[in-house]
Amino acid sequence: MTTAQTGTAGSPPLPYSGLTVVEWAGDPAGEGTGRLLAELGADVIKIEPPQGSPTRRIGPFAHDVVSADTSLTFWYYNFGKRSVVPDGSESDQALLHRLLVGADVLLITLRPREIAAAGLDYSALLTTHPQLIILSVTAFGLDGPWADYRTCDLVGLAAGGPLASCGYDDHSIPPIRPGGNQGYHTAASFAHCGLLLALLDRQRTGAGQLVDVSMHESLAVSGELANPYWFYPKVLVHRQTCRHAQPVPTQPALFRCADDRWVYFALILADRKPWDALVAWMESLGVAADLTDTAYDDLAHRQQNFQHIQELIECLFLLQDATTAYHEGQRRGLPIGPVNAPEDVLDDEHLQARNFFTTVAFDSDLSALVPTSPYRFSSFQTVAPTRAPWLGEHTGQVLAAEEADR
Amino acid sequence: MDARHPSLVQRQPRARRGPLSGIRVADFCWMGVGSVATRMLADFGAEVIKIESRTRLDLPRRLPLYKNDSRSFGAEDPDPDPDKGGLFNNYSRNKLGVTINMRSVEGRELAERLIAQSSVVTENFAPGVMAGWNLTYERLRALCPEVIYAHMSGFGQSGPHHTYRSYGPVVQAVSGLSFISGLPDREPSGWGLSYMDNQAAYYNSAALLMAIMHRNATGKGTEIDTSAVEVGVSLLGPDLLDVTVNARPTRRPGFPPGNRLEHPQAAPHGVYPCAGEDRWVAVAVFDDTDWHRLIEAIGNPAWTTDPRFASGSSRFAHADALDAHLAEWTRHRSPHEVMTLLQDNGVCAGAVQDARDLNEVDPQLAHRGTFFELDHPVIGPARFEGTPVTFSRIEQDNWRSAPLLGEDNAYVFSDILGLSTNEVADLAAAGVI
Repeated sequence: MTTAQTGTAGSPPLPYSGLTVVEWAGDPAGEGTGRLLAELGADVIKIEPPQGSPTRRIGPFAHDVVSADTSLTFWYYNFGKRSVVPDGSESDQALLHRLLVGADVLLITLRPREIAAAGLDYSALLTTHPQLIILSVTAFGLDGPWADYRTCDLVGLAAGGPLASCGYDDHSIPPIRPGGNQGYHTAASFAHCGLLLALLDRQRTGAGQLVDVSMHESLAVSGELANPYWFYPKVLVHRQTCRHAQPVPTQPALFRCADDRWVYFALILADRKPWDALVAWMESLGVAADLTDTAYDDLAHRQQNFQHIQELIECLFLLQDATTAYHEGQRRGLPIGPVNAPEDVLDDEHLQARNFFTTVAFDSDLSALVPTSPYRFSSFQTVAPTRAPWLGEHTGQVLAAEEADR
Repeated sequence: MDARHPSLVQRQPRARRGPLSGIRVADFCWMGVGSVATRMLADFGAEVIKIESRTRLDLPRRLPLYKNDSRSFGAEDPDPDPDKGGLFNNYSRNKLGVTINMRSVEGRELAERLIAQSSVVTENFAPGVMAGWNLTYERLRALCPEVIYAHMSGFGQSGPHHTYRSYGPVVQAVSGLSFISGLPDREPSGWGLSYMDNQAAYYNSAALLMAIMHRNATGKGTEIDTSAVEVGVSLLGPDLLDVTVNARPTRRPGFPPGNRLEHPQAAPHGVYPCAGEDRWVAVAVFDDTDWHRLIEAIGNPAWTTDPRFASGSSRFAHADALDAHLAEWTRHRSPHEVMTLLQDNGVCAGAVQDARDLNEVDPQLAHRGTFFELDHPVIGPARFEGTPVTFSRIEQDNWRSAPLLGEDNAYVFSDILGLSTNEVADLAAAGVI
């Protein structure tokens, strides 16, 4: 990192102001990592083949117009980057070496076989660029028996473990992949942390290094209770509909509301405070039935009658819409969440009050809301994303700057 | 001291290795998000001092994940041994542990002395708890100039819902992540884990590391406010842009698509039954090259010549029929047999692995050393989830399993804060520590 950390007077720097990243990535794990860095101020120079990154061919597309510059998948993972397409006057390797002269980080997603095919050698790169951090984000890591295996979000989540915990109570239905590329996103989160640890080490020693991030391992350590249940009591957890996979079945936690929307609410019977709050709430709506009996003061009695309690809770939620249930439940101290659709969160008064969404101009006649970075630091300015680059948009600019530097 | 069990002597704090060595963290975090967030700091050399209450035990100390003792959450021990909890061990390895009664004036004074000797303070209580102890950013800066003060909460420190209660599944519901997960036209399957406890924790680890890097460079501290719900919304993926750019709501027939993949159209793309009870394998075929590799690998059965399966768009249109054929082939084989056969033929496939598979079957995790072992005085030897990143210059510094309740009181209060042995004994007798 250069001295640009201090930023200009009156304008607090961004966390990665002054950091230059060369990105050679073609999947949402690598591109998502680059996005996190670009969003926080890094100059991310994305090298793309002439036909563009593979993610440029993945929909949905803006206004359903299919082109290299209209993929919403590409847009989502490439906010704020610069795009360079080699002009053919030199080999990709030669261009890479030139760009790496001024770079802090090479973010790259090639598997071992592909590294060899590209004629790259990470050890040699680190020898010629001793301050360079090579941030490798791959399916399984750079060595081991599965290192050249392929992955995708579904396969990553399957092999890494989280998928086994997700699905429905009915086990004739297979495990169901949670949406939104979360396997890739988990790898990107660890890549971000891994890079930061390497940057901190370089602050002390001046030395770069290879950071080898495995999506498979990232998911294998992100199953929450599944591994500890195996490490300690040696039991497996079993998937349940929209609630924690557990060794033994637990009561449903999704409740349908009057407006046909769902809320999530898991009653912890052993805790007295939420029990009292729940019964008071039910009483106010006339559906407490016998739950006010003193017999329910006894935990064992509540446990024996859990099914009956659940049925009354179903009534409670059927009497009100999901938004009302959310705010009234929370007002009463109960951890209830409405099952919001993505379009619902745009209207959320809390997120609006925190200025979480901002408008990004994608084109002269197209702008849309996007989330800002979820990091809020008192020492840095709030981060507003800028759109993803058009294919090769910055080729001339970047190559000209490199020429000037030589 | 010498008379103690050798395993206890080895538990004495020592100088730490790693890019965070020399950084002391006064860690008020508890539950999942906070504990996982500061775990990465402890793993890589920071002296993370976990501050706990003896009267309000951290939930992972209480949850009944006990070695060789299987019981459900509902069968919690009413008077649990706080040092037996496996989840706590997993979350708090490499940290120090002290007990402070924050309800007492003396306890709060002690906490302030510890903060003054630290340079990072972390917490994930409900907003207002720390302020109730007068531990505001302003107060912390008075105690420790250029402190880094990280708040990790469900909804953030401001806004009309900042006091709302949440944990992983609530965050997943509110942020939209549950809704986009499931089969179409029925209730969502959502998540069978607190995905957002993990992701919020990883984002909070990164926030702390960014703040430390920034302070190393500029000398300036910072206050951090991270909201798990906002992290969750930022993780929704391209579906969110389809909503905002194309004004296409996700409350529509056919959404979410379950294991089908619409972007790009892929078929077969799903989770298929295997031999054994509740065993499955994931297979993903993206183009004609993949398709030809697949049918070659499974021996070119007659059904693969069905003209309905001749092109990618036609395979996608007839995915039900295709899935039924493929399931007939997978259901006689083990998940790992299918995975290996297909991957060796260049087809993207993965066994749906459970925790036993990850720990006892998976050759890749074994090769990479993803899990590691540490001894614990009460629990005994136990496995831990390591860092899924291999570095060429640095490594995770595993020096000890999780602290016993108050295990490091003497070290922290005497060696770091300079109290005499008698003073520490008096604080213990008075219920302050």
